[in-house]
Formats: sequence, C-alpha cells, structure tokens
Amino acid sequence: MPVLTLDHRPQSLGAWVGGLWRHRGVLVALARKDFRVRYKRASLGVLWSVAVPLFQTTVMVFIFSRVGRFGSGGAFSYAGFVLAGMVPWLYASTSITSSTTAIVDGSSLTDKVWFPRAVLTLVPPTANLVTLAISAVILVVALPIVGEPFSPRLLLIIPSAGLVVAFCAALGLLLGALYVYFRDLKFMVQAVMLAWFYVTPIVYPAGALRTAGPWLDFNPLTGIAGLFQHAAVGAPMPSHRALVVSLATTLVVLVVAVVTHRRHDRLFVDLL
Amino acid sequence: MTTPAIELDAVAKRYWKIQERSLLRSLVPLGPPNRSELWALSGIDLRVEPGESLGIMGRNGAGKSTLLRLLAGVTQPTTGTVTTRGRVAPLLSIGVGFHQEMTGRENVFVNGMLLGLSKSEIEACFDDIVDFADLSEFIDTPVKFYSSGMFMRLGFSVAIHVDPEILLIDEVLAVGDIGFRLRSFDRMRALQRAGTTIVFVSHWVQAIHMLCPRAICMHRGRIEVDGPTETAIARYHELLSTSGESEEMAPVHVVHRELLEADGSPVETPHQETWLSYRVVVRFARPVEGPQFFFRVLAEDGTLAYSMQTTVGDGWRSFPAGSETTAALTFRPRFGGGGTFRITMVVTNDDASVPLLHDQHGPSFFVPPRLGVVGVADLEASVVVDGRPRTDHQALRFENDPAAVEGG
Repeated sequence: MPVLTLDHRPQSLGAWVGGLWRHRGVLVALARKDFRVRYKRASLGVLWSVAVPLFQTTVMVFIFSRVGRFGSGGAFSYAGFVLAGMVPWLYASTSITSSTTAIVDGSSLTDKVWFPRAVLTLVPPTANLVTLAISAVILVVALPIVGEPFSPRLLLIIPSAGLVVAFCAALGLLLGALYVYFRDLKFMVQAVMLAWFYVTPIVYPAGALRTAGPWLDFNPLTGIAGLFQHAAVGAPMPSHRALVVSLATTLVVLVVAVVTHRRHDRLFVDLL
Repeated sequence: MTTPAIELDAVAKRYWKIQERSLLRSLVPLGPPNRSELWALSGIDLRVEPGESLGIMGRNGAGKSTLLRLLAGVTQPTTGTVTTRGRVAPLLSIGVGFHQEMTGRENVFVNGMLLGLSKSEIEACFDDIVDFADLSEFIDTPVKFYSSGMFMRLGFSVAIHVDPEILLIDEVLAVGDIGFRLRSFDRMRALQRAGTTIVFVSHWVQAIHMLCPRAICMHRGRIEVDGPTETAIARYHELLSTSGESEEMAPVHVVHRELLEADGSPVETPHQETWLSYRVVVRFARPVEGPQFFFRVLAEDGTLAYSMQTTVGDGWRSFPAGSETTAALTFRPRFGGGGTFRITMVVTNDDASVPLLHDQHGPSFFVPPRLGVVGVADLEASVVVDGRPRTDHQALRFENDPAAVEGG
C-alpha cells in the first residue's frame, strides 16, 4: 500500500526521480496527445510537420544565398548546410518556447491530481521527437538532391540529436519552473529566441564572421548546429570549445533544473 | 486501534497573496513588500479510519479545497504532516484532465494514467468504464461535444474504476441527471461496503448526510466541528446565517412569512398534535428554473431536528424575474421532549448545487413536552415491566394543563 507523508520539507532527490520514473507512462500519453491534437483538425495532418520546416528552410536558403551572399565557398552545398542547421534549431525553438509555459498552461490538469510537474515540461521535447525524426529523414533524403553524397559521417546525426534533446529538455525543465514565479519570462524567451537564431551559425558558417566568430562558441547551440552541419555536408567540425560549452551548459542547466523541481514540485500549484 | 487511512497532524497551509510579482521587483528588493500572507488552513488535526466516510462542509473560502489538495498530494503543508495510506484517487471534474479535442476513449486512457493505472489495467476495465458512464455511443466523439453531465459521468466512472483505497470527491455530484446521481450513490455505497475511505466535500448537505455518518464543518481554515453529521450540519447552517451576504443582492428574497395553525388561526402554544402551516412568500430577483425549497427545523442548540425538501432535479417550472410565489410547509411538531424550535429555509437552483437564499429569520415556536419524554424525537414508546404498562404518566399531569393531555 503506498504511503505518502508530506510536511514542509522538500522531497528527497530519490523520491523525485522515482516519481518521475513512475509517471513515464503519463509523459508518453500526454506527448502523444499533444502531437495528435496539434494536427488533428488540419486536413493535411502530420504532413504539416514536414511542410513547415521545408518551406522555412527554402525561404532561408533563397534569402541568404541571394541577399546575404553567404555561401560555402563551394566546399559543400549551402542549401544542405542550412537545412542541417535548421533541423536542431526548429526542434530547439519549438520545444523551449512550449516547455516554458507548460506548467502554467497545464494547471487545470494538476489542480486535483499529483504527478511531477517536470512531466509537463518534458512533454514538448518528447512530442517534438516525432518532428525531429521526420526532419532528420528529410535532411537525409534531400542530401543527394543538393549534390551531397552519403557518408558514414551521417551517423553522427544520432548522438547530435541526443545532445539537442538533452539540452532542450534541461532548459525547458528550468524555464518551466521559473515561469511559474516570473511571468515576464514568456516574453523574454520569445525575444531571446528571435536573436538566438542569428547568433547561431545556421544560415552562415561560423568562419564567415571573422572577429565575432570565436565568441559564438559560447552559444550552446553553436556546437549542436555545427555537429549536424558536419554530419550532413562535411562542414568543418565545431571547435572543441563550442562542444564543451554545449555539453557543460546542458549538464549545469540540468542540475539546477532538478534541484529547483525537487524543492518546488508541490509548491508550484500554490501560484497557479 | 487501526492505522488511520488519513492522518493530519497540526497542519497549516500558508498562501502568499501577491499583488505583483515581476522579475524586476524580485531582483531589486526596493519599496514595500508586495505580498501578504493568507493562512488557508491552521491547526488541522484529523484522523480518518480505513473504510470511513467523512463529509466536509464549510462556506466558500473555509479551506475545504486546500484540505482536499493536501490529501491529493498536490501541494504540501507549510507546517505539520499529512499522511495518506493507500492509493488516492480524486474525482476529476469538468475541464480537469479532459482534453476537448480528444475523443472520450483517448481521454479515458489519459485520465486513467494520470490516476495511476497502467495501459493494460485501463484496457482491462475499459468496457466497464464506458458502460457505467452510459456513453458507449459517444465514446469515439471528441469530448467537446459532451454535455457537462456526460463529462461528469465519464470522470466519475474512471475514478471509481481506479479502485482507490481513498476516494476524494469535490462537489461534482450535484450535476448530472437524477438517474446517474442515484447510480453514483449506489456505487459509492458499494465502495463504502468494500472498505474504500471516502472524503466528500459538498455544499449539498443532503448528499453528505446520506453518505457520511461523520462530518467536519470548516470555518476560516479551522475545523469547527468534527463529529456526527447532524452536528456538523447544524454548525454549518449557523455559519451560513452569519454570512455577510446582503439580502438585497440575493437572487431570491423573502417578502413575507407567517406561521399559522392549519385552520388559519394564529399560533399561540402549539400542541404536538396541532397541524401547523408555515407560509413564506418569496420574490425572484432574476429568472429561476425549478427552484427547490429546503425547510429545516432546528432545535435550540442548533441541531437539525427535522428537514424536508422538495424533489430535486425535475425542473418542475420556471419563475420569471420579479415574480412571487408562496411556499407552505405543513407539519405537526411532534417533538416528544418539546423545546424551542426555529424554522429555516434554503432555496436552491433545480439540481440543488447553487444556493440562492438562506433564510435564517424564520419563526421560532415552543412546543411543550409530552409527559415523561425527553429528547427531540417522539418514538411513541411505551415501557412494560413485569407485564404491566409503566409509562402512563397521566398521574404526573398538572391540573388545568391542556398540553399534557394531547400527547397522552
């Protein structure tokens, strides 16, 4: 028989992790629901999850190759390069913005029945795994079309995808908790996302910015986007510093997020 | 003594009432503090044994919902400890745990999982859930096309099939058609017999009375009464009568009230066998569909001596705004032990979920006791000892006392 004793103290780390593990079924059910509801009333359904990123990438390639005169200098396909960078970016931007508001938006669900609030923030990164997979498939299919041969490098996409998922899950966990306390955060995240796209080497290679280039390494998405681009079209590997920043940021954010959730899991509801 | 299923020990819960909380204000701690504290619960000690059914009453803001949240484990206490032993299932109500765009079937699965069932467990009892909710035709329809009654049926059906050790019910049974409501009561009685602990929060006093032998009445975050349901109800009615609700604002108000003998003559000292008629003229300030009248006769100490109500939920007729009608309660005050009694009246909407008027200013009347009887009820008992009737109290009768003759 499950016995639950609550007092003013935060639950133990083990209890929190255990609770999260026991509710993994809820996470999957909610993520599936999230994904299905998103496309339910659209006649093209899940096709939109393919069409939108494809259209977005086409626009980017067109604008930045003509207007911005960014190019790869002929070493690899510029279109393939942008598409490769867009795959993690689209995943990250949609997941992070949805995770930020997830706990507050899900308040009707959590008013009466307890499950770790972390589940709610993990729903967008989980539901978006489907679109991440679809866009990765599109990338692989598109490579021969833009003139890039397949190479064993492509397998690097799998750990790279793992890294972007871990990063978004950790950041979403933290932002979702903070948003309960600071409702300004939603708009700040929206604004930051707008800028973040341009300080990440997606539509331009990191080398194109001669003096500012090294500073981009402190953006955790630089290493992640660079890995995808290297895997897909053989763009230069991101610097060690960029990779260390990506990994270290993910770990630090995860630790802070877990500490926050452990302490506040049953207090969020008081502020909803 | 068994281990209680629910144990609250010196529990208090504080909320912060926040006027404004911005990132800027919290980073720059200048200016007056922008929060004030609110103790939703304080000094709560409560024990509920396994299989016991507890009713919770109290006015809005008394702390009922906070208490239920603590029991559901949704929030934690500020001080003290809350212990629950067994699987706790809250009854999900309208809008909670349901997603409009998904079908009834999909919602059953998500809800079931939220309540702690595994997918295979839900599959096993899926047909029972749908049957009990009586929704087999609509189970593949998105729930946004459901009526509120259908929502409730589905929610209730999922919750009871979770087979919880502790079932938390918050106010929801007031909606739904009368047939389903009766079925729900049957089902809850079955759960009671099977040893499920039930905590039932409601403004619908009659429902608590039917289900729970024990109840607590909460007021301003404290437990005022913990005892037999009648005692808690009496206290609840007292609290309602002290409400600050102005009568002008009430959707229904009393225009005139009179207590007469059945033949229309004024009441002086009624006898226990005298038919009395309490007539109340009420005016409806806004249109009211099928109003229900609850008459309660309270003893001097506030305990409920008797209650009679109109039939709930049949939507018998509607009254336009500004109309008046008369409700008459005809009764015999057969309170064996006699005493001073007061008549109160509650008017609610058709399904008794929304109180429209609490009239606490009804008349009081005194009934003399029947000889030899003490207590509120009159069981018309007699005692035979050694083959001889020993309860003929005529001998105790005072000279010229007509009251005593009546009961004899």
